[in-house]
Amino acid sequence: MRLKGILIIVSLKMFFRQREAIIWTILLPLFMVFLFSFVNFDGLGKVSLGIVNASTDTTLVGALRSVQSFKTTTGDTSEEFDALRKGDRSIVMVIPPTFQPAGHDSVTLYLNAEKVQETQIGKLIIQRVLDELVFRQNTAVTGPAIRIEMVNSRNLNYIDFLLPGVLAMSIMQSGVFGVAFGFVILKKRGILRRLLVTPMRTTDFIVAQVVSRLLVLMFQVFIMIEVGQLFFHLHFIGSIFNMLVVGILGGIVFLSIGFALSGISKSEDQVAPLANIITLPMLLLGGVFFSRSNLPGFAHIITNYFPLTFLADGLRVIAVEGATLAGVLPQIIGLAVWCIIMVFIAVKSFRWE
Amino acid sequence: MQTPVLEVHNLTKHYDKLTAVDGISFEVKRQEIFGILGPNGAGKTTTLEMIETLRPIDSGQILLDNLDVTKDPQKVKRIIGVQLQSSSFFDKLKLTELLTLFGEMYNRQIDPLALLDEVELREKAKSYVAQLSGGQKQRFSIAAALVNDPVIIFLDEPTTGLDPQARRHLWGVIKRIRSEGKTIVLTTHYMDEAEELCDRVAIMDSGKIIATGSPHELVQQLLGKGFKKERVERLANLEDVFLDLTGHSLRED
Repeated sequence: MRLKGILIIVSLKMFFRQREAIIWTILLPLFMVFLFSFVNFDGLGKVSLGIVNASTDTTLVGALRSVQSFKTTTGDTSEEFDALRKGDRSIVMVIPPTFQPAGHDSVTLYLNAEKVQETQIGKLIIQRVLDELVFRQNTAVTGPAIRIEMVNSRNLNYIDFLLPGVLAMSIMQSGVFGVAFGFVILKKRGILRRLLVTPMRTTDFIVAQVVSRLLVLMFQVFIMIEVGQLFFHLHFIGSIFNMLVVGILGGIVFLSIGFALSGISKSEDQVAPLANIITLPMLLLGGVFFSRSNLPGFAHIITNYFPLTFLADGLRVIAVEGATLAGVLPQIIGLAVWCIIMVFIAVKSFRWE
Repeated sequence: MQTPVLEVHNLTKHYDKLTAVDGISFEVKRQEIFGILGPNGAGKTTTLEMIETLRPIDSGQILLDNLDVTKDPQKVKRIIGVQLQSSSFFDKLKLTELLTLFGEMYNRQIDPLALLDEVELREKAKSYVAQLSGGQKQRFSIAAALVNDPVIIFLDEPTTGLDPQARRHLWGVIKRIRSEGKTIVLTTHYMDEAEELCDRVAIMDSGKIIATGSPHELVQQLLGKGFKKERVERLANLEDVFLDLTGHSLRED
């Protein structure tokens, strides 16, 4: 027990003395978030308008749909208001049951209070569309009025999508690359052999390696969330504890992949290509930088089962929507299954020499 | 008569078709410096690794202080000190931290500075291994082999790659450790080193021990067969010239 503790402390000491490791695991992910924070993927020039149509009239919805500047969606009250509160809509328009283009019933616009520009433009366009409808009906001088309500949305930004994804990425990279390279070098330079002639139990050494790396992982989670909130307006409403639970599960999956790789590869030269073959597809398609919703059907299905997808989605839902552990049960189950598979493979393929 | 601290009986090791070690037997007495000599590929390192519990034995028996290496590897590990041929250590730990850690692996709380004194490295206590010269690395490696106060120490080619000054310095360290009651087994392919250091040597070739004895005995046996050098030995050689010109002091800093 004492030796395990000492080995953990010593491993942490070695990690924090290694400048490259800190750059890769802590600074680089933050730098990526920083770079991407300049990119505004939200404002692609369209005003997102949600319509809740309780009336039988379709002309107004049709007219709004044909407006180029709108990204129009329709749905029931709860769907659209949820989306508005999350910040996915700039405006939600409610058309009352008795509405008629020529009538006097007013439509209500719920405006996202922070998206001033979009709502201003949106309001003007909607007014114009309504005026045109009335004009075409040729009956009344004054058509339906517009009532305005302001709504305080959480306005999730791209950062809120990106940061949990980048955190998942850095957990994957430091697990796979850190362990695989670390152990191949320990083996190649004869450091492991030197340890083998001492009476130390090899499992103590492995346990210490895993525990110290999971401690570093917890540190990564803290830093990313804190820096995200302080500097990047991250809307973090989840529990750090839940983040750590999902993060550690994911960490074990990727550490096991690292151990398996270090057993399979004979030299450092073999580690990099193997590690990249495993991590790159997940990095590009696993929903770290971009939503997977644009992937073609089959790719979407395959990427559903990536460990990185489970990890990124789990962290994201906790961070942004404040999900409980029960709320991320599918991700937890997915990661747990991967854990079992990868730990088994790691134990089978890991070698000391 | 004291019992030998190390007994090797009919030790054999095969790699596929190659017989790396071919039925060798020898004994090492307490407080002796025993050399295993031979060209590269003779089987010296394989022999040491089997004694050090690093390689399984195909056949034969090794007794270390009456412990069977195959049956009691954990107990054997507690009483041996090992310097591997390509031993290296963690990069990011200072010498004292490394020694303390190695001590803990034997469940011992040691005084790292005292060990560094033993190999004359106290002034490097706060350095990393990467900052040491070749000779200092080898001396540190010996200090690490001493953390468990072993009965016997194995040094695999301790002076390979060192300059003449550093070699002589290391010889001094090895002799002092022996004088403090340790038994030392080393491999080398430098004959002058064996002659200078070893009480007895075994000469290995192609996996077999082809001669055993003190350096003096082996030379006498050869002369007894009527051997004569073609040229009479000069009273000094180039190494003597080199040391005369550059001095015996170490050039490590």
